[in-house]
Amino acid sequence: MSSSTTDLTMPQMGVSVAEGTVVEWRKQVGDWVEADEVIASISTDKIDTDVEAPATGRLAEIMVAEGETVAVGAVLARIATDAPAEAEANGSSSGGGTSEADVALEAPGEAGELQGDTGRPGQAPLSRVVARGRAGSARFSPVVARMAAEHDLDLAQIEGTGRNGRVRKQDVLAHLERSAAPEPPMHIESPYRPDPPAPAQAPVSADGPAGASLSRMRRTIGRAMVESLHTAATCTTIAEADMTRVAAARKALGTSFLPLVARATVETLRAFPALNATLEGETYTRYDDRVHLGIAVSLGDTEPASPAGTGEQGLIVPVIRDAQELSVEGLATRIRDLAERARAGDLSPDEVRGGTFTITNPGGYGSILATPVINQPQVAILDTEAVVKRPVVITDALGEDAIAIRQMTYLCLSWDHRALDGALAARFLRALGERLEGWPLP
Amino acid sequence: MPAMTYLQAISDAMREEMRADERVFVMGEDIAVFGGAFKVTDGFLDEFGPARVMDTPLAESGIVGCAIGAACEGLRPVAEMQFADFVSCGFDQLVNVAGKMFYRQGLSVNITVRLPSGGGFSGGPFHSQNPEAWFMHSPGLKVVAPSTPEDAKGLLIRAIRDPNPVVFLEHKHLYRRVRGEVPAGRYETEFGARIARPGSDLVVIAHGAMVHTALEATEDSEASIEVLDLRSLVPLDEAAILDSVRRCSKVVVVDEANQTCAAGAQVAALIAQHGWEDLDGPVVRVGSPDVPIPFSPPLEQAVLPQPDDIREAVRELLDY
Repeated sequence: MSSSTTDLTMPQMGVSVAEGTVVEWRKQVGDWVEADEVIASISTDKIDTDVEAPATGRLAEIMVAEGETVAVGAVLARIATDAPAEAEANGSSSGGGTSEADVALEAPGEAGELQGDTGRPGQAPLSRVVARGRAGSARFSPVVARMAAEHDLDLAQIEGTGRNGRVRKQDVLAHLERSAAPEPPMHIESPYRPDPPAPAQAPVSADGPAGASLSRMRRTIGRAMVESLHTAATCTTIAEADMTRVAAARKALGTSFLPLVARATVETLRAFPALNATLEGETYTRYDDRVHLGIAVSLGDTEPASPAGTGEQGLIVPVIRDAQELSVEGLATRIRDLAERARAGDLSPDEVRGGTFTITNPGGYGSILATPVINQPQVAILDTEAVVKRPVVITDALGEDAIAIRQMTYLCLSWDHRALDGALAARFLRALGERLEGWPLP
Repeated sequence: MPAMTYLQAISDAMREEMRADERVFVMGEDIAVFGGAFKVTDGFLDEFGPARVMDTPLAESGIVGCAIGAACEGLRPVAEMQFADFVSCGFDQLVNVAGKMFYRQGLSVNITVRLPSGGGFSGGPFHSQNPEAWFMHSPGLKVVAPSTPEDAKGLLIRAIRDPNPVVFLEHKHLYRRVRGEVPAGRYETEFGARIARPGSDLVVIAHGAMVHTALEATEDSEASIEVLDLRSLVPLDEAAILDSVRRCSKVVVVDEANQTCAAGAQVAALIAQHGWEDLDGPVVRVGSPDVPIPFSPPLEQAVLPQPDDIREAVRELLDY
C-alpha cells in the first residue's frame, strides 16, 4: 500500500518564535480529519492557539505528546491522505507490507483501545516510542529510571552529560534542583498589585495549606522577570509631574490618562532616542523615529477587592507598532482593542513582540511609587502611578509663589545602566514632565 | 591515646584480654620462645608462661582441632596460622568441625584463628594469599579483616569474646606500615563497616589493605569519592553498603584476592539485587586475576591491585 502522508508541523507563530508546546490533541491516532479542522492546541511562551489539519485524511501518527515542546517546523503528526474513509477502514489491506501507518490504521478509531497494550509493537503508544527514540538513547540506568518515575519527569527533556549523552543521576538531580528553585516574589512582575501572601513553603504539617504548582503564565513571567534582573543593571529614577492640564484634557476626551501619557512619551522619546532602543548582549539598537510602544496589560481580576486578585492571571505586554503615527484618540482606541483582545486570549504572537519601549500603568489602585522591571531587551520602562491632588508651591504670573492644589503624579523610569547613564534618564523625565505640564488645554 | 602500629595493636588486644581473662590463651607455630614469625607475641611467654603461650607442631589441623577442643571445655583460644596460606591444612577442622559444632551439638566454639594474610612484599605463592572467601562460604564462621590499628585491636577483642569461631585476617603488609592512635584498655569494635572517607559521587568498597590503596587512589580526585571499609565480611554490613550505594549510585568494589568468588563478588551481588534502583552505572570490580601470587616484584605488582588500577576504574565509572 503506497503510504501517501502529509506532515503536520509546528507552525511559525510570529517571526521570533522558536518553539511551541503541544497543549492538547483534539484528535487521536486513527481519527478521520478534514482539512482545516482543528486537531491540536499549541502554546508558545506567550500565546495559545489552535493548529488545523493541512489535509484531509486519517491521523496516522502522533509524534509529539501533550506537554512536549518542540522547535518550529518539527513534525507533530502525520496524516495519511490516501487512507480510506470511515467505513472501509478495515477492508483496506490490499498490500502485503505493514508500515507503522498501516498498523495504526487497522486499529479501531477509539483512542482508548489504542492505549491498551495488545503486545503488538507499533500499536501501543506510538508517540511514546517515537519520543524515546528521539532522546538518543531509550536506555536509562535504574536510578535514573526510578527518579523519573518518582518525580514524573520526561527524560527526553533532560540533557545527558554522560557518555554518549547518557542521562546521569546528577543530570536528573540538577534538573530537579532547577525546577525547585524558589519563585521570585510576585510584586516584581506586577509592581502595582498588592503583595500576595509569601510563597508557601513545603507544608510542614498535614493541616497546612496545600501547595500547587504555578501556572504556565506565572512561570513564564517569572522567568522573564528574573532574567531581566539578572541581565540588566536596573536603576529607577523618579520625577514629579503636574498633571492638572492633562487631567482637564483627558476629561474632555473621555479617556484615561494612559493615551495622553503614551502620546507624550512617544514624542519625548523622539528627542531622547537613546531610550527607544534595545540591548541584546553587546548589541545596542536605536529605533530613532519609530516607536514600538509596549503597554502592560493586566490579565487578572480587575476587581482589586476580590480575594482572587492574587496575580494568578498574570500580565501581557502587547505592542503598538509605529505608535508615533497615532494621535491620542488613535492610541486610546488601540490600547482598548489590545487590552480587550489580550484578556480574551486573541493576540497573535507578533503583537506581543518587537517593542522598543514599555509603559506600565497601575491604573486606579492608588499606589504612588514603584520600581518596574525592564521588559528585555528594551533599555527602559516607564511606570505611571496614581494622579493625586496635593498642595504644591507654584509661581503665578507675577512671579509670586503660592500654594495651590494641583493634580500630581510620580513618573518612575527604570533604565539599564549598561545602555545609558542617570543624567539622561533624569533629563528624559524632566522633558516628559514638561510636556505633560504644558499639555494644551481643550 | 598512644600511637601504635597495626601489629602492636594486635599484640595489645591479646595481651589485654589475657591479662583480664584467664580463659584466653594463645597457640601456634613458633609463637612462644621465638615470639612469632612476625613477633606479634613477643614477650608473651615471659608474661603469661608456657601454659597460656604454646608452641605447636607444624600441623595446622592439630592447632585448630586442639583449639576447638579447648573451646568446648570453656576456654578462649587464639590460634595463629603462621601465614594465612597454611590454613588450608587446618581447613577440615575449621570448616567441618568448628563451623558446624553449634549447629550439630549446640556447643559454642569460642575460638579465634588469626590469619596473617595478603601480599605486596614478594612473599610468593605460599605466603601472600587472601583466603577470606573460603570462610565466607562456610556457614558457622565469622570473618573479619581490619585495616587500621584501632580497628585491629577492637575487632580482635570482639573476636576473642565472640562465642562463635572467628577467622581474623590481619594483613601482613600493614603490620608495620600503618600506624595510628589506639585507645588504651579493652574495647570492642562492632562487626560492621565504617566509612573511611565520606563522599557522594562514587563509593569504593574495600577491606583490609585495599582500604588504604583505595584512599590513596582517590585522595586527589575532583569528584567526591566515598571509601567504605567493610571491616567485617561475615556478618556483612548490608545496611551500610546499601546506604552508600543509595547516596553515591556508582560503586567500585575492590578485592586484593583473586576476583572469582571473592568477598567483593558477594558485595556486588548484594548491590545488584537490593541496590538496583539506586545504581547509575555498572558495579565495577577491581581485584587480582585468578593466578597464584608471583615472587617477582614487578610481576607481583602487576597482579595485585594498585592505586592506578582503582584510579582508572573510578575515572571510567565517573565518566559513564
